[in-house]
Amino acid sequence: MDELDPVIHAAARLKITASLATLAAGDRIAFARLQELLGMTAGNLSTHLRKLEDAGYVEAVKTHQGRTPVTWLALTRTGRRAFEDYMEALRGLLGESV
Amino acid sequence: MLQLLGEQQRHVERAQLAPVPWLYGTWGVAWLVGFLALWSTSPAGNPWFTVPGPLAAGVFGALITSSVVASAIIGSRINRGVRGTSTFGGVVYGLSWPLCGTAFALVGTGLIANGMSSELASIYFPSAYALMCGALYLGGAALWRDGGQLAVAIALLAVGAIAPYFGAPGNNLFMALAAGGTFLAAAVVVAKNPTRGR
Repeated sequence: MDELDPVIHAAARLKITASLATLAAGDRIAFARLQELLGMTAGNLSTHLRKLEDAGYVEAVKTHQGRTPVTWLALTRTGRRAFEDYMEALRGLLGESV
Repeated sequence: MLQLLGEQQRHVERAQLAPVPWLYGTWGVAWLVGFLALWSTSPAGNPWFTVPGPLAAGVFGALITSSVVASAIIGSRINRGVRGTSTFGGVVYGLSWPLCGTAFALVGTGLIANGMSSELASIYFPSAYALMCGALYLGGAALWRDGGQLAVAIALLAVGAIAPYFGAPGNNLFMALAAGGTFLAAAVVVAKNPTRGR
């Protein structure tokens, strides 16, 4: 894979994907906590998450904690593989050993 | 770009682990001050001053209780906003502390009921708790693949195993300096480099 995945390549989506990739497989993070970790506005984060969801890279599960709606986010298997492929392609372009 | 990615992942890990130095620091102060107080109850211990037994026991109990409460609060902040497969492991690990603490205390009181002297009890309890903490930190290290917890675990197991050879009340001084020092050193190391050390 020589070309960089355009879905992940945008700086904001790259940060989102990299952050979600730090979660253990099977774990999800609350939207508010991810927003706090990334320092993005809710609107901006939602926009980029939708693009990642449309590509099948992120899965969002909406639940309620009491009366408060909570959205839980995680990379899908496809998303995690896409992030790994992206890293590999980037290292390849930079001539680093993988 | 690679640097940006690595930095972002380190930022997330640092944010999640930010409370950990406080956890180690709280326990470091509790063990250092608490065991120094116990060591100071006997004229054979602290050569500079003596602390009345009930006062030292009260200080020790208050420090350990405060640390347990602080740990529960700080621990709940480490993985906040995250749920999933790791939740079960975290809950079981959290419960293992009071469960093991109660079990070790019951063994100690059982030994006292069967004739263990107060001098032997003052050797049993500190070592039992250091060994318990060491074993539980080993579990934490395995659960979260955390090299820092592994180092603390090995140090506490060594301290707990060696302490009885100092006799009472020297074991309390050893506990204060070695175990308290281990926790405080871990607090400084994790504060400077907040990664899991995998």
